This record gives sequence, C-alpha cells and structure tokens, in this order.
Amino acid sequence: MAESSDHYILFTVAGTAYALPSQQVAHVEMVEQITRVPNAAPFVDGVVFSRGQVVPAVNMRIRFGFERADRDLRTRLLVVQVDKRSVGLLVDSCREFLTIPAADVQPPGDSLTGASTQYIKGIATRQDRLIVILDIRALLASAEPILAA
Amino acid sequence: MAEEFLDRFLSEYYAEGEEHLAVIRRALLTLDDAVGQPRPDAAVTEELFRSFHSIKGIAAMVEHREAELLAHEMESYLRALRDGQVRLSTPGVEGLIAGTQLLEQSVAAHRTSAPQPDIASAVSTLHALVADDAGATAAGDAGPVPENPAAAVASWRCVFTPSPELLGRGVNVDVVRSRLRDCGQILRARPLIGEGGAITFEFLVSGEPDVATREAWLADGMACTAADAAEPSPAPAVTERATAILSAGHYVRVDLTKLDDLMRMIGDLVILRARLVDALAPVEAHVPAHVWRPLQETNAGIERQLRDLREGVMRVRLVPVGEIFRRMPFVVRDLARDSGRRVRVEMTGQETHIDKFLVEQMMDPVLHLVRNSIAHGLETADERIAAGKRPEGTLLLAASAAGEIATIEIGDDGRGIDAERVVARAGAAGVPVPAVVDDAALLELICSPGFSTREESDRASGRGFGMAVVRRTVQELGGSLRLWTEAGRGTRFTIDLPLTLAITDALLARVGHQMFAVPQASVREVIELEESAVQRLEDGEVAPYRGLALPLVRLSQRLGIASVPERRLHAFVLGQGAAAVGLVVDRIVGQREIVVRSAVDPLIRVEGIAGATDLGDGRVVLILDAAAIARGVRRQGGAAARAATA
Repeated sequence: MAESSDHYILFTVAGTAYALPSQQVAHVEMVEQITRVPNAAPFVDGVVFSRGQVVPAVNMRIRFGFERADRDLRTRLLVVQVDKRSVGLLVDSCREFLTIPAADVQPPGDSLTGASTQYIKGIATRQDRLIVILDIRALLASAEPILAA
Repeated sequence: MAEEFLDRFLSEYYAEGEEHLAVIRRALLTLDDAVGQPRPDAAVTEELFRSFHSIKGIAAMVEHREAELLAHEMESYLRALRDGQVRLSTPGVEGLIAGTQLLEQSVAAHRTSAPQPDIASAVSTLHALVADDAGATAAGDAGPVPENPAAAVASWRCVFTPSPELLGRGVNVDVVRSRLRDCGQILRARPLIGEGGAITFEFLVSGEPDVATREAWLADGMACTAADAAEPSPAPAVTERATAILSAGHYVRVDLTKLDDLMRMIGDLVILRARLVDALAPVEAHVPAHVWRPLQETNAGIERQLRDLREGVMRVRLVPVGEIFRRMPFVVRDLARDSGRRVRVEMTGQETHIDKFLVEQMMDPVLHLVRNSIAHGLETADERIAAGKRPEGTLLLAASAAGEIATIEIGDDGRGIDAERVVARAGAAGVPVPAVVDDAALLELICSPGFSTREESDRASGRGFGMAVVRRTVQELGGSLRLWTEAGRGTRFTIDLPLTLAITDALLARVGHQMFAVPQASVREVIELEESAVQRLEDGEVAPYRGLALPLVRLSQRLGIASVPERRLHAFVLGQGAAAVGLVVDRIVGQREIVVRSAVDPLIRVEGIAGATDLGDGRVVLILDAAAIARGVRRQGGAAARAATA
C-alpha cells in the first residue's frame, strides 16, 4: 500500500471487529423492512431500497457461519460499492471511523488457514484490539461458506 | 472545459454520422436494384453523394481520418456516377456497400476508442472504380487530404464565424466548405472557440480566392487571410452554445440518460401519489363531504396529469422499429449471395414505435433470427422449384403494437423446422425431450443452452449468439418469444415486448405474508377455483379451464413460502393456448401502477423474479417474471397435463 495510512469504517459481527476501507462504503443505514427473496442464498436476508436502488442485504453473521441474531437498535446496514455493485452488509453494529497507519496492518498470518484467509486483507492492532480488514471483492465474488476467523 | 467541449463535439459527430449512414443504407438498397440501367435515379445518387460528402466534412473536423478517406472515395465515385463518367456496375454497388460497412465499423471503433479497421484495400478498390472507368478522376475535390498540410502549396486561412442570421440566409459550414473547395483544396478544417464563447471554424485552403470574392465572403462571416508559416491559433474555450449552432432545424438531440433521469423522477412522483392515496383513505370518514370532495378531485386530477406526463416522456423515447429492420436487407443480401439463395425481404409496420432502449437491445436477436432463416429456413432456388414454390424465398419482418405490447415477427416461407431432427439432436445433447413436441416445446428445445442443429458453425448462423441468448435477451426486457412452424410452409418467430420498461400496470397478490407484483400485460385472466376442482396428475396439479386442463403452479411451493390459503383458490392465467398455466396465490390484492426497478445484483438474481418495486411505504415488493414461472411449470408437470388431455 502506497499511502502511509488509510481511513476505515469499523463494524462488529459476533464480537469480532472488522474494517473496510471507507471509500468502499457508500453509506450506513438503520435497518427497516427487509423483503425476503425466495430461493436466494441462505446468507442473503433479502432486498431493501437504498437511495432508490434495489440492494441485497447480506447477513454477515450467517455469511461467517454464526447463528442468526435478532435485529436490534444497534444493527446497521453498510452499503458497500465495489465494481459497480451495491451490496448491503447487515452487521451487529457500526459506529466508528478509524485511521490506521499502513505500517500497523499485518498480512494475515499463518495461524489463519483455510478458506477464511482469502477474504482477509490484513490484521491491525489498535489499543489491544484486533481488527480484521476484509477484502470485500473476494467476499462478494464467492458464495462459498466461510468459517469464522 | 476543453475536454467537455470535445466530448460534446464528438457525440454530435457520432449522432450526425449515424443519421447520414441511415440515409445511405436506405439509398444503397434502391441503387442496388438499378444496376445495369444506363442512368440510376438521379435523386438517389444525389442523396448518397450529399450524405458521403457531409460525413467527409464532419469526419475531417474531428480529425477522424479513416472515415474521411472512405467517405471521400465513395463521394468521388458517386460524383462520377452522377456526372455520367462511369456506369453503375455491380462491383460499384458492392464497393459502396463494403465501403459503407467499413465506414460504420470505423465510426464505431472511433467511438469506443478501439483500433481502426484496415481501410487500405477498400480505399484502393473504390479509387479504382473511378479511375478504371472514367480514366480521369472527377474534377473539384482533388484526392484525399495530405498528411502534412505544411508540405502543400501556398495556402490561405479562412475563418468562418457562424451566426443565427447567417444560418437564416442559408450560409452554414457546408456551404462554406463548398465555396472554399471551388477555389482550392481544403487542407484542414477545425472548429475553434473564441474568447467570448463563440464558435468559429478554421479552414486551411490551397489556392487563393480573388479580392472580390473575399470581400463578398466577408459579409457572410468568412474572413480570409494568407496563412503564414506560424499561423495563429486562438486559445480554445468552451461554450454551451457550441452544439446548438451545429444542429439546425426543429429537432433536439437528447442523451438517453437524461430521459432516463426524467422517467425516474416521474417514477418517484407516481410512488409519492400512491402514498398520498394511502394517506387520504382514512381521512374520508372524518371530514364532511364538502371538504372531502375537492380533496378527492384534486387527487384524481394529479393522477390524470401524471399519466399524461408519463406518456409524454415515453413518447419522446419512442423510435420506429424501422431502425432495426433497415439494416437487415444488407445482411440478407450478403448471406443470400454467399449461400446461393434468392431472398425477397418484405417489411411491414416499420413505423411502429418502441422504446429506443428496446431498439438497441433487439438489434442482435433480430439479426440472429434473420440469419437463421436464411441459413436453416429458406431453401435454394432449385429445392424450392422442386417443392412447387416460387424460386425466390420470402423473409418477412413485421412489427405492430397493441395496447402496452409491441410485437416483432421474423418469418420465412422456407422448409420449416424439422422436429424429428431437433428431437434427435436434443436427445444426443442430453436435453430432456417432452412426450409431445408442439411448437412451444420445440422452441424450448432449440433455446436450450448448448443446443445447435449444426455441428459446425457457419457464417450465416453465426457464433456465440444462439437461440438461448435470443430468448434470454427478450425475457430480460420483460418480453416473450413464440414460435410457429410447419413442415414445407415456413417458420415464424414472434417477439412480444412491453412498449416501455420503467412504469407499468401490475396486479398485486399476497402469498403467505409477502406481497408480489405481476405485470398485467403477462396476465391473461384472473380466475377463482374451488379446491375440490383441482386434480393431481403425476407430479403436478391441473384444473379445468375453458374445456382444457390448466396446469397449476402454487407460488407458495415455487417460492418456498408458507401459504395462508383461503377457502377458494385464486390464480393468474399466464401464457397462451397450450402453454397457459395457472399461478395460484393466496389472495389477489388489487391493481396498481408500479415503477419497475431492476434487481441486477447476482446475489438476488433468482429465476422467477424480474425486479422490484416500491408501493409507497418504502418496502420492496418483488415483481414476478411470469414467463420464467410458466416455463418452470412446463418442465415439471405441464407436458404430462397436456398429454393427458390430448
């Protein structure tokens, strides 16, 4: 990475902190009504309208192999925009905007093996917290089940 | 700023080029019929000449050299033709057709910044047409523009400043060009923008206009000066007025995306009004009649106006289907010649108007069906005579519109589709074959991915764009494809398309706790059934309907939703004749004008779902793809049902 530091949006799924580069996140919304799409992948909760567009809502808990949880006041929909696609990520919470120096981002280590590593760009440590930086392109390109990191 | 101007200027070039090419295509067909006559129709030659001349001019301005050269050569041939220096010959017409096709490719390549096609051999062929026949090139425009203007003879610089006043007197860039050409060769032409934002055209001309001419020209906005070695070149700036000056007449060219924006805004209004209706409904009970009535009247007025507005914008987007058809005779001509067939093209309903977007999308499917007709449908002249037919085959291109549906038909009077061969081929390819092969089943087979009646792909049938793609394209546009064929009599493909895509009338139905919309155009009838009338048949269900057994599909099962059934069953009848199926829902809620939003993300592209809409409460309602659902039934139990009733 050429830049010395990058801006990230931080969110949590099942107790783990994840980050996406802020330029990939179009906006963050409260979740209202999600319309189920029959016969869609199990991790697709349905569709929502987001600024006039029909956007799929991907339940990140299911995507990462966790149990479904009831939506509450902290639940958010992160609408990400990559390769002309708009996809909503349903996450447990999303409140922080963070700048992480590039030097603090480590490549996924050998301790992380298997399918999950291909969705992980790197790991950063901030104030004793582990933050997993996701590769959203890889995540959206595949429908393979992911084991929690 | 400068780049923006260039973009505008280029898109103007493409649009204008396209218009001239359309005229050329039409005129060339007339010319083709005139081969061998001592003198072709002067009006046609003149029209072609002027069109090529104009393309040459605008190509030069955007410095699109390949197009300029091609147009120049064809213009020269036509001038010789017009002046009687050459006779119209088959190689001549073919040279023009080949040159025009190359010109189209060249412009298309320029537009997409793709590599330019090789024009060298076409240019020399065209050049030889004039040189061989006439001995000398027609006077006037001498040869193509040299690469390096500085190497040419002493030149004059003429700057033309157009104005509405001049335009009113008929002095436009074309006139200026022809005047300058009379006194020498135009070495270069380019548009410039002055500081005040006014657009001017700078020409570099070999040869010197005399003083009297120059003075007369000055009154027409043409300023000529001797060009010196270091010629001045005013700093370009940009103005909105630039394009306005270039397009005269009553027409305004509009970027399609701007119309899309307008349509979207109207869509938002439609949704907003739906919300108003919902909000008004509970008010009626609480207010006196004299308060309620004006409210309701105003609401009804808004609805009417909104409909008119929507139709008005829709009409702007409509273009004649003829835009698709007009290209086909060229294709037919080439293919017929290559395959030794004689084909007459019959066109009807070219004036049928459909959405511009549909015209663009339908070009390739229609092209494929036309190719198929010639490659597989029509027989050779000998075969036709042996079969007691006229030696000349007929290819029919027909268009019509009724209500919200536009229909395009591509037919031939050839040998028809050989069902046995299709079945054998499908069996060999592992495609499941139904018990009864009617036209609809035949269509299903030839549209299966990977199916092709020919092992080797020849030129006519083309590669990569099979029937499967034709049908998918039609379906993605919300349309449907039908087939009629009869051995020895011919084949006809019928494409039904919605006239417009953005807003449509739909029926709303509830299954379990979820609401769905079904485009009204695809629903033939709404019926009610007693549960006791439903009979099980093998793996499917049927119900009596107009003396036939109607295969049923329960939407709840199809979509995996828990049903909340009522005492009687409600169903939409989808599809025609033997292909009809009944789509069973829990309850039919009503009819509504809906705004169609596409649901294109791969994560939500599910068979049976065509898109989504918003009924005003911000919630997404899925729009069902009736054709896909009907198809699914045919595959499951439909064939068995028909076999039982046959």
